[in-house]
Amino acid sequence: MRGQASAAQRTAETVAGPAIFGELLGDPAVRERWERVRRWFFLRESTYDMTRRCNIRCEGCYFYHGDKQNVEDCTDPEAWHTLMRAEKARGITFAVLAGAEPALVPELLRVCGEHIPLGAIATNGLRRIPEDVPYRIHISVWGNDATSERYRSAKRMLDRQCEQYADDDRAVFVYTFTRENCAESREVVEQLARRRCKVTFNVFSSPVGYSGPCRHDAASLLETRRTMLELLDAYPETVLFSAYSAVAHTHSLGLHELFGCSYPRMNPSTALGLGRSFRQYRANLAFDRGAACCVPDTDCPDCRHYAAGSAVVTARLHRHAANANTFWAWLDYVNVYLAVWVRGYEPFSPLLSEPTAPPGRGLF
Amino acid sequence: MSNATDLELKIAEILIRETRLEDATAETFDPDVDLIEEVGLDSMDLTTVVLVLQDEFKIQIPEDEYPKLTTVRKIAAYVQAQLRT
Repeated sequence: MRGQASAAQRTAETVAGPAIFGELLGDPAVRERWERVRRWFFLRESTYDMTRRCNIRCEGCYFYHGDKQNVEDCTDPEAWHTLMRAEKARGITFAVLAGAEPALVPELLRVCGEHIPLGAIATNGLRRIPEDVPYRIHISVWGNDATSERYRSAKRMLDRQCEQYADDDRAVFVYTFTRENCAESREVVEQLARRRCKVTFNVFSSPVGYSGPCRHDAASLLETRRTMLELLDAYPETVLFSAYSAVAHTHSLGLHELFGCSYPRMNPSTALGLGRSFRQYRANLAFDRGAACCVPDTDCPDCRHYAAGSAVVTARLHRHAANANTFWAWLDYVNVYLAVWVRGYEPFSPLLSEPTAPPGRGLF
Repeated sequence: MSNATDLELKIAEILIRETRLEDATAETFDPDVDLIEEVGLDSMDLTTVVLVLQDEFKIQIPEDEYPKLTTVRKIAAYVQAQLRT
C-alpha cells in the first residue's frame, strides 16, 4: 500500500519553488486526498482530565508532574453534563479525555460522548472501556513486558492490553519510543500485527524538570526514526504512521521550534485556531489558559508528542503548501492524524514513501 | 450585499465556495460580518481561502497576517494594497 506512485508522485521532484495551490491540486490523486482530509477541518478540540486517580504509576508520567494532580475530582455527572453542553455551545467538536486514568470513570466518559460524539481517550488499557462510549481509544505501550514492568510496575502489560482491546475497532495502540526501548518496538509491533491491532508511534517528550532514562538524545532520536520507518515498511496494515510523521517527530528540533506550537501555552494569540478555542480542563473542571496544551507540563523545547504534532503540523498547511513535496508530506501526515484520532475515518494510501524535510529545515 | 465592490464580491464568492457556506451568495454576503466570530470559520478554513486568494490575485499573504483578515472588506483592502505594491 505504501508508496504507490501517482502521476503527481512521479513529477514531485521536478516541482520546485513557491507553488500555485491550484496546480498542487491538479492531479486527481492529490485532489482526492485533499478533499478527503478537508472534510474534517471542522474539528475543534479541547482536552479534559477525567480523574486524578490511576491504577498504575509510570516513569515520566505527565499527569503526576505539576499541580494538576492536586485538584479534587468532580464526580458529579450533572456538572459534567453542564460542562459538555457549554463546550458544544462554544464550538468544541472533538473531546480528548485523559489523565489520570479515564477508564476508572466510565459514567463520565458516557456523558462526554453524549454531547460531543467525536473524541479520543488516552488509557493504559488495563480496564475495558464500555462499548457504548463511542470514542477512539489510545492504549499506551512503553516497551515489551519486561520494560513495562520496570517503568510501570505492571506485569504482562501488553497481553493484558490485548485481552481487553484486540478485537475492538475503537482501539489504537500508541507505542512511545523512549531513549531505551527502541529495539524492543519490533517485537511489540510484531505481536500487535499478529493480533490484528493498529499501532501508531509517539516520542517520549520530557515533563518539565525530568532528566530520567526515558529522555531522548540525538542518537536515540535518529535510531527511533530508522526504526519507525522500518516498521512502517514491514507492517503497512498495522502501523498508522507516515514517513513525514517520522521526520516531524524525531527531528533534532522539537515541534515548537519546527512549526510554532499553536496551543495557548506557547501561543498568546486568541485570534484563531487553538489559541482561540482550546482549553485543557482539570479534573475539577477548572482551566487555566496559560497552562493549556495537549500534554500539560511537557518541557516545550523537548515536545515531540504525537498529540501535539497532530494539531501543530496540521495547522501549518500554509507553509507546507509551498511546494509539492511538502504538501504531499502534509497530506500524508494529516491522513495519519485522522486515522489515529477519528473513528470512522478511512485512510488513503500515502503519496510519499521517503522522508521529506519540514519547510525551511533539514531532514534532521 | 450592501456597498460591495467588485473585489469584495469576488472574495466573497471564493470564500463561499471554498468553505462551502450553505445558503449564502456573494451578492447577499455582508462584507463586514466577522468571519471568525459570526460565520464560524477557523484557521484551516481561512488558510484554504488564503491559498486560493494567492492564486487568484497572484499575491503572497504571510501566515502572520491571518488575524487581520476577519471580514471580506478587510480582506479586500489587504488584497488591494498588495496589488498596488
